Amino acid sequence: MTVQIDGRLSDCPLVAVGCQRCGSDVLVRKGSWNQTSVQWNAEASARCPERGDTENVAAYSGRGVFMGCSALADSIADAVRHGDVSVVDGIS
Amino acid sequence: MTLQSNTDEIRQIEAATAPCRFARGWHCLGLTKDFGDGKPHSVNAFGKKLVVFRSGDGEINILDGYCRHMGGDLTQGEVKGNEIACPFHDWRWGGDGRCKRVPYSKRVPRLARTAKWTTLEQDGMLFVWNDPEGCPPPPEVTIPRIEGATSDEWTDWHWYTTTVNTNCREIVDNVVDMAHFFYIHGSLPTHFKNIFEGHVATQYMNSQGRPDLGDTEGSRMLGTTSVASYYGPSFMIDDLTYHYEEADHQTVLINCHYPIATNSFVLQYGIIVKKSDLLPEDLAVQTAVALGDFVKMGFEQDVAIWKNKARIDNPLLCEEDGPVYQLRRWYEQFYVDVADVAPDMVERFEHELDTTSPREEWMRVVETNLAGRSLAGTVR
Repeated sequence: MTVQIDGRLSDCPLVAVGCQRCGSDVLVRKGSWNQTSVQWNAEASARCPERGDTENVAAYSGRGVFMGCSALADSIADAVRHGDVSVVDGIS
Repeated sequence: MTLQSNTDEIRQIEAATAPCRFARGWHCLGLTKDFGDGKPHSVNAFGKKLVVFRSGDGEINILDGYCRHMGGDLTQGEVKGNEIACPFHDWRWGGDGRCKRVPYSKRVPRLARTAKWTTLEQDGMLFVWNDPEGCPPPPEVTIPRIEGATSDEWTDWHWYTTTVNTNCREIVDNVVDMAHFFYIHGSLPTHFKNIFEGHVATQYMNSQGRPDLGDTEGSRMLGTTSVASYYGPSFMIDDLTYHYEEADHQTVLINCHYPIATNSFVLQYGIIVKKSDLLPEDLAVQTAVALGDFVKMGFEQDVAIWKNKARIDNPLLCEEDGPVYQLRRWYEQFYVDVADVAPDMVERFEHELDTTSPREEWMRVVETNLAGRSLAGTVR
């Protein structure tokens, strides 16, 4: 049972964005200004300091979901502004 | 253009048969109190019949339901001391899967061992570990504790069980399916984000109330905040807060299932509600029942869709749909051997949906409904 590929990725693929704080590269796709997919890898997860903080807090609170890294969000916003990441809305 | 090229352009639904293998992971079988009475209980799960019984030492044990002697049905047997006794010839099986005694024989035969499942009793629920490779549960995938479940400040579980005749992938798909919450469940998502990482898949959703749908409660529900995570393939904990004009009601909703066979599963859900000044004991219990019934209605709406829909491996998605393919890639980790779990099945993936365009459409629908209702009111 292999999983097929999301057709939306052929129209607008994921592109690499580096985090301005920890330097890790992740893959990003912008469906619109307010819609973002981020594919992390093991190295980025290990290096992200915000993620580490959430895990440390979660150890006391039971279950805590790390919603996302603010430095990475800023980096992605900058990448969009500089035209390094295109927005699907803007293509058609 | 030839006729041939026209048919080429038709999108075909693709669907491989559902896997005959059952997911590796912890599965909740229900409330412990329903299994712990010292009698054997029959559970159809993972394509087998299992016997669940609390032995004299207080442990809840799960064994294959059929006696290895002559195939007697252990679920019809009797708990004697720490063992389950077969109704056919009184062979005694311990929770470790070994035959402890054949009362009419001097010794137990060699290889007198049956299949047993690892269990976990936690927060009022009974869990079973399923692993086609037969390995014990790793500690890092254990089910997290639910503080409210054992606290006097919260109600007891209000619990529902139902059988659904389809493959359980359908219910897991709901994690990413934002639009169905409007069309099927009458809610109005305003914020929607998914995060998959390791064995956990999370849906973060805010929604606002539907002024066009019947408001029988008197006080108006403003909306909900929900953080719902699957811990493994089948057990979801939803920290779900209902916002009312006068206060917030904090609840924990469990949504869990276990497969009976490839194309059927037992769906269970339960709710606890936090008591407060506005929600003292009785009122909190009433709220749990009312909200539980509301959730029940929601699942019945899902079941009606699942009953009639086609299995589909290649959903055709628009930008405002959630990450169905990425969710299924995450889900796949539970259906392959541990050695074959690929990095992309467990690496963190985030998807935040832009709800602007859906909300514009849905507010139009709401306003049309309200206009229709007030018109009907005038006529009456």
